[in-house]
Amino acid sequence: MANKKQSGFGKWASSRKGQQVIICAAFAIIPLLLLLVFTYIPFGEMVKFSFYKMKYTTPVEKREFVGLKNYIDVFTRSDCFGALKLSLYYIVGALVQLVLALFLATLLSFRVKGGNLFKGLIFFPYLISGIAVGFIFKFFFTRGFVFDSILQLCGFNLDNLPYWLKDQSINNWTLVSTSVWRYLGQMMVLFIGAIMSVDAELYEAAELDGANKFQQFRYIILPSIKTIVTLNVILAITGSLSAFEQPFVITTGANGTGTYFIIMNKIAHTSQKVGLASAMAVVLLLIILICAGLQKLFFEYIFKDSSADDESYKAKKLRKKQEKDTRKYMKQMTASAKGGK
Amino acid sequence: MKTKRIACIAMAGLMAASLAGCGSGDDKTEATTEATKAATEATGSDSADDTTAAAADGIKSYADIQLGTDFTDLSAEIKFYNNRTDLDSDEYNGKNWKQYLEDFNKEYPNIKVDVITDTNYADDALTHLQSGNYETVMCIPAVDMADLSTYFMSFGDYDTMSQLVNYSNRWLYHGQVYGVPLTATTQGIVYNKKVFADAGVTDVPKTPEEFIAALKAIKEKNPDCIPLYTNYAAGWTMGAWDDYISITATGDATYKNQKLAHTKDPFKNYGDDTHAYAVYKILYDAVSQGLTEDDYATTDWESCKGMINNGEIGCMVLGSWAYPQMEAGGPNADDIGYIPFPISVNGKQYASSGADYCYGINVNASDDEKQAALVFVKWMTEKSGYAYNEDSLALVPGSESKIAFDGVDFVADEAALEGEEDYLNQLNSESELNVSNGGNDKIQAIIEHAANGDMSFDDIMAEWNQKWSDAQESLGIEANQE
Repeated sequence: MANKKQSGFGKWASSRKGQQVIICAAFAIIPLLLLLVFTYIPFGEMVKFSFYKMKYTTPVEKREFVGLKNYIDVFTRSDCFGALKLSLYYIVGALVQLVLALFLATLLSFRVKGGNLFKGLIFFPYLISGIAVGFIFKFFFTRGFVFDSILQLCGFNLDNLPYWLKDQSINNWTLVSTSVWRYLGQMMVLFIGAIMSVDAELYEAAELDGANKFQQFRYIILPSIKTIVTLNVILAITGSLSAFEQPFVITTGANGTGTYFIIMNKIAHTSQKVGLASAMAVVLLLIILICAGLQKLFFEYIFKDSSADDESYKAKKLRKKQEKDTRKYMKQMTASAKGGK
Repeated sequence: MKTKRIACIAMAGLMAASLAGCGSGDDKTEATTEATKAATEATGSDSADDTTAAAADGIKSYADIQLGTDFTDLSAEIKFYNNRTDLDSDEYNGKNWKQYLEDFNKEYPNIKVDVITDTNYADDALTHLQSGNYETVMCIPAVDMADLSTYFMSFGDYDTMSQLVNYSNRWLYHGQVYGVPLTATTQGIVYNKKVFADAGVTDVPKTPEEFIAALKAIKEKNPDCIPLYTNYAAGWTMGAWDDYISITATGDATYKNQKLAHTKDPFKNYGDDTHAYAVYKILYDAVSQGLTEDDYATTDWESCKGMINNGEIGCMVLGSWAYPQMEAGGPNADDIGYIPFPISVNGKQYASSGADYCYGINVNASDDEKQAALVFVKWMTEKSGYAYNEDSLALVPGSESKIAFDGVDFVADEAALEGEEDYLNQLNSESELNVSNGGNDKIQAIIEHAANGDMSFDDIMAEWNQKWSDAQESLGIEANQE
């Protein structure tokens, strides 16, 4: 019996279908294994840690199970959850960055003198290492240094200028601006790439129909690159929620610039409350998932016009309504016919 | 459609297969770690029971090794992991690792030492330990005392070791010494003699009032000079203030490791300009009276060395390890001096002295490696001149040192009581104040509140007292000290 089965398997394995499956499996196993070992298993461990009170160096048997206490702490401690408020600064920055990037990308995707030079210049900050950016901006914003000097050349008086990193009412905006400076170019390049793929004949046709540049943008470019826009918004928002690099390298998170990630880092590495930090990470993950979900719904609504394949959303709605009405009418007819009977 | 379905099934099968594979893999690693743990536990308890256990294993203990005669033909390859990246450079203003190793290899040509340095040492070293695969010799990072024997081998018992090396109680657990210090430092203030003298401050300030008055005199004499530079932005320079609250502020060798954990409200005002309150108050007062730098958020550690050397800074609160760096910061090395912290306890000044990073030897290394590591550590401590070159206090009893305070008592922190070794660590973690353990942000907050005037000093101290008490309560540590 077993023998028969084996030969059956051998037959299957040498068949075309069997070969297909085996080759697929063989190719997929390596990336899947890497994903599992370096992403899912560590993640599972982290979720497990979030239910324990432990330090990094606590041996396994001495870790103390505390149930949901860490999660309760995340929501009740003022410094953990309160730090998410700082993300609002970064979200505003991300939206400004998105609009600016879209604007520049649209400009630069038409024929512009020195277009490539501008693309290069705007993209350049992205190539600088984050640590270097930190040093650059610490000196840039130091009292009386680069930024203040430039503003003084423009006629500002040093006494009227704020302390860019010391003053707690503006230092977060200062950090957000460096973040926009750094990531604007990258976002712009992604947009330019997407805009390039739009068929140039469409512009010509639109121009013949008398559409101006803004209308071309609104009705041709934007719908064509909606996937990239959606992706960039999702990346920008999740990036804002997990803002870390700018405050960490420029202010080390002091002076009211400690974002959620910075606080998490401090709790995990300075105070060695690994369980609490893991719980914070899990909570952040959930928040990001919820945000991503909401954004997806939002964009489905925004781009409803273009997601209908051939007919516009309004036309589709109208057709549906008509169909419904017809059905209703038919129903009434049959009912009345029955009643008549 | 069909291909899709096949792909689907294949994927599902694959996932299952790889999951199963991983499961068994996990078991295996668990088994091996358990095995190593059992082994380490065995050696740990061995050495804890009996110092000569090491010798019984065929390893000559630290105390018994005769440098220059023993093991000169031993052949081994060891790794030494530490934080001194600056000593990797040929441009280092002193003896670098390469030169030390050359000297070492003159006596021990067959022991190859591979020095690995790391700028983010404190964090990375813990990761190395946690991975189970760590270097033969490393600077012991912030591990719990109870876990010491899991990771490191004992150098011998305290009675023996304390005769050979000062400050060997830094990593003392159950009577066993697990760490030998690389250097030992004291805590005071590095200052520019010329700036102080120009402002008419001739006597070294001994109390907080005298110190603040001196800072004011400097500010009046030369408004462009920063009397006290906080180094706020660097962070760790702020955490350094914690090192002044025990011996310097109390004169009590048992304060830090035995009393602090049991003290009720350690940050309260004692009313006689002593204890932690007086230390942090100096900082708060200096900032609120404008005696520190204007824009603290953009201070720069590297620039401060040149500034103090050129007389743009009056003084900085830093450990003695910073003294040589300030001297090397510019052309005026002779202007730089080192004075004790301005707190007097009953009219007497104290300075803490204690071990910096300590060598720890991997307990899981092979016997040859352990022996080579022991030889290397003993050579570094006794023969290399490392401690003297790095401006350490004397490590080997009776040896020479560059730092001497007149009329100031050097006191070393005593180790924690047996059974209470972890109290301070646990309290630090639980209260998140991290006293002398990277709690930089709480000291930065003092400056922020002093500059913005949004929280009084007493309120800050009350908040810390609250955190400390809460942590004592949740850990069940008795607060019976005043």
